[in-house]
Amino acid sequence: MLEEGDALELLAYLVTAARTQLDEAAEYAPMRLLTAAGRLAEMTEPQASTGLGPLLREVRRGISETAVQAGDPEGYAEHLDALCRAVAEHLVASLDLGGARP
Amino acid sequence: MNDAVLQAIRTRRVVRAFTQDPVGRDQLEAVLDCARHAPHAGNRRLHRYAAVTSPPLLRALRMVSPGMLQRPMAAIVVCVDWPQVHAYGISPGNPGPYIDVGTACATLLLAAHGAGLGAGPVTSFSRTAVATILGLPQGVAPELIVCLGHPAAEQPPAMRRRGGPAWQDVVQWERG
Repeated sequence: MLEEGDALELLAYLVTAARTQLDEAAEYAPMRLLTAAGRLAEMTEPQASTGLGPLLREVRRGISETAVQAGDPEGYAEHLDALCRAVAEHLVASLDLGGARP
Repeated sequence: MNDAVLQAIRTRRVVRAFTQDPVGRDQLEAVLDCARHAPHAGNRRLHRYAAVTSPPLLRALRMVSPGMLQRPMAAIVVCVDWPQVHAYGISPGNPGPYIDVGTACATLLLAAHGAGLGAGPVTSFSRTAVATILGLPQGVAPELIVCLGHPAAEQPPAMRRRGGPAWQDVVQWERG
């Protein structure tokens, strides 16, 4: 699904972000991870199934490559929780977990 | 007071999104030429610059630079020539070479602004990977990348912080 060039780009980003994070402000860590998620969503969207498309668009809409927690700590956490909830709801639907939960 | 200089300083912005329009060779050379006018300690030339315009090379640089949000149409990589630093007997802990990376960067950013380009500095990148990609000589270490291009109409929002100080709050006049 992911073209090799895009996969390589993402792999390089993640590996080098791990290295740069050793020396940088802690607040950059969530931002780097979200940037990777946003780029993965952007790369995947052209070939995504009808079901996955809305989640990918929501992820891309919800990510700012310059947003850090210090700008609005409570809002930042709430925003990430909302994204996590969206991902989880998609998982429940796409993996047909509706009947499997306790 | 030189209003034109003050105006240039006040209107320069970090640009994080560019158009697909290429950067002209004359513009790039004008920006590079300004680097020598940056203040450098002892007027020692301890820095080297790698100018990049090749699209595959720019793409590779971006892959190993987590801080590079933009897709630049050109880049200038500011490097420290450590063999030269050692030749002057400058101790490893001396911050001078890094301070001069900063002055070079500030000068390049203003030069780009003056040349009608947008520019943004990037320090979050793998030094090892960039040196390998650019085939830099042994001992020449990349320390900062200046991304260049023509600013896109829409820019990502700037990093916001709560309760940042005004300039008056961070200045001490005379002795404290």
